[in-house]
Amino acid sequence: MYGFELGDDNMSRQSKEKIYFWLFLAPALLAFIIVVIIPFFMGIYYSMTDWTAIAGEEATFIGIENYKSMFTDTAFHYSFIRTFSFTIISVLSINFIALSLAILVTREIKFKNFFRAGFFIPNLIGGLVLGYIWQFIFKSVAPEIGEIIGFQWLQDALLLTESDTALVAVVMAFTWQYAGYIMMIYVAALLNVPQELIEASQIDGANFFQRLRNITIPMIAQAFTISSFLTLVTSFKQYDIIIALTNGGPTSEFAGEIVNSTEFLAVYIYNVAFKYNRMAEGQARAVVFFLILLVVSIVQVYYNQKKEVEM
Amino acid sequence: MKKLLSLLLTLVLVVGLLAACGQDEDKNDGDTNTPAAEDKEEDKEEPASEPDKEQEVVIYQNKVEIHEQLFAFADAYTKETGVKVTVKTSGGDSPYAENLKAEFQSDRQPDIFVIEGMGGYNTWKSQLGKFDGDEWIDLTSLEFAIDGDVIGFPVAVEAWGMAYNVRILEEAGVDPATLTSQEGYKTAFEKIDSMKEELGLDSVVSMAAGPDMRWVTGLHNFNGYLSAGLEYGDRSVLDKLLAGEADEARLTEYADWVELLFNYADRGVLLQGNYDAQVGAFAMEKAAFVHQGNWIDPWLAENGVDFDMAYAPHASVGGEHNAIFIGAPSYYVLNVNSENLEATRAFLNYMATSEAGHNYMVNEAKMIPAFTNVTLTPDAPLSANVATWVAKEGGAYTWLQNDMPDGFGMGTIAPIYEAFGKGDIDKAEFIAQLISKIEEIQ
Repeated sequence: MYGFELGDDNMSRQSKEKIYFWLFLAPALLAFIIVVIIPFFMGIYYSMTDWTAIAGEEATFIGIENYKSMFTDTAFHYSFIRTFSFTIISVLSINFIALSLAILVTREIKFKNFFRAGFFIPNLIGGLVLGYIWQFIFKSVAPEIGEIIGFQWLQDALLLTESDTALVAVVMAFTWQYAGYIMMIYVAALLNVPQELIEASQIDGANFFQRLRNITIPMIAQAFTISSFLTLVTSFKQYDIIIALTNGGPTSEFAGEIVNSTEFLAVYIYNVAFKYNRMAEGQARAVVFFLILLVVSIVQVYYNQKKEVEM
Repeated sequence: MKKLLSLLLTLVLVVGLLAACGQDEDKNDGDTNTPAAEDKEEDKEEPASEPDKEQEVVIYQNKVEIHEQLFAFADAYTKETGVKVTVKTSGGDSPYAENLKAEFQSDRQPDIFVIEGMGGYNTWKSQLGKFDGDEWIDLTSLEFAIDGDVIGFPVAVEAWGMAYNVRILEEAGVDPATLTSQEGYKTAFEKIDSMKEELGLDSVVSMAAGPDMRWVTGLHNFNGYLSAGLEYGDRSVLDKLLAGEADEARLTEYADWVELLFNYADRGVLLQGNYDAQVGAFAMEKAAFVHQGNWIDPWLAENGVDFDMAYAPHASVGGEHNAIFIGAPSYYVLNVNSENLEATRAFLNYMATSEAGHNYMVNEAKMIPAFTNVTLTPDAPLSANVATWVAKEGGAYTWLQNDMPDGFGMGTIAPIYEAFGKGDIDKAEFIAQLISKIEEIQ
């Protein structure tokens, strides 16, 4: 049927292998092209049209109009800044907590497997459910706690109505969800730190922090690369927790406009496309969002990798 | 250790897969809710020998919950008049608008179908027949009309106003009849506010302006600016808004109303409350008023709330008000190509004018009919009160909130209300922000 079945003689081993290679690759490649590559380029095309997604209406090409409008859009600038602050805070908090937990659960303590599983479980709860749980905590439980410990500020605070406390609230909910997952990566890395090195340092009289700084952290640099990449990308794309927890609010003022303080880029793009029905404009912002994420994560991975040590 | 780790990771993968499957299942569940099966049944019944083929009316409607009732009513109508009426339904999770397009491609187009205001009108413009001189037109002010041509028969009525707790107002010595102007409200609010402790209230009004409740402020409350104090059907303020023009004097009066509501609302409910918190405060008798429509009736019934309540008008702008915001969320419209136009119109007229029709709408389908000749009252408290407003001459202000540009109400202006509620901006700034947002509309 195909050349490689019949023409064994006049076909070298190498080209036969090549055909097998592509044949085995084909299903995955085809799926990837259909669901990722083609929609991606279609998306870029639509971002340069006045597409409205109403059936039967043809999109007309309008060039980079949709891209221009984002330079004058205050809400977009604000969302951009907020997304960056959120990303930085949550990358730091998630990695710090994940590493601390990982160090704790790799020491010789009782029930460490139980703790590992326990810290991991929030990751199995969907973002929406988790958002509603934390909404309840911030709205109802926090004032109760304030009352019990006699802390007036917490008792009266409407935590989700101030832009900064709401940002912290989203970071807390997200950290709670994601730190357990990142912890598992650190646990795996910590278990691979060669025991000889640790023992040698112990003999030399190094204390815990010296050991951590000079041996453990350099040895798990690879885990840092992957963990910070994962947390960076997921924070940047955060959507479901925000929808359930703050729904983009509360409001805040920026450059004389009333803006939504937790409407991060993913939420903002969704709103432009679906609430305002400006599909093409939303698409243009999504393309820019993709480029920014690409650049930021490449830079991050490049710099982190430089710090990795090979044994 | 490594074994454990790999086991855990595998577990995660499996759980991830299961979660994905779980979502799929949910979706399927949703789909099966659609009464597609029922549709087919009736399709089969269709050719079941009605000798007078001409006298057949097909109604294609979108309310799954009233399918049975409408079917029974149509059956009774057939028995009485000999005109066969076929009811087809699609709705709930299956997209009515798309199915309707398919229905129009078939060889038996529906004679009656449903549109939901201007959006539907714009899509179906070329297919819509007109009502002319039908008896029901004189019995309602809620028909869907374009340039004087009556296009749509209101399916049912929904409304919102200031719902109040009759007992609390009585105990506070406030006569609801005085709640017709901002001054009247102000006096009443002050009085109730001073008696909060004895009445066991947290706040006077249960109002919500937080991120979850932007439809209350950006759509419903703002509709007061668009239509309060005007004749029913007056679109002049809306037309100005669509042209990017704000009526500053009117906005200033309107801002007083917003301020009044916000000042007497509970801060927690106002700024971070959700639907349950807002309706709940009223239902638990922690607030004397609630800014919600009669769609909260099922919520109240479910939670066993049975105190007396009624609607007072919104005093959205200055002057005296004696109307609440009444509208029809959807309309029956005629297919202009229908071969049975007369029979079709007769059927709808029968629904609006006969006792059987009233019984179907009120007692069977649990709707509030849009017609002034209906004497039956719904048994849910707020709906019953809305029915009396419907019967009142000039008791309705127009629903215009859905004719604003996409996203304007909930996306663009609602955050300004929240900022005002928090005290981040003052009233002057609130007005200025609204004006600048209106002027941004081209």
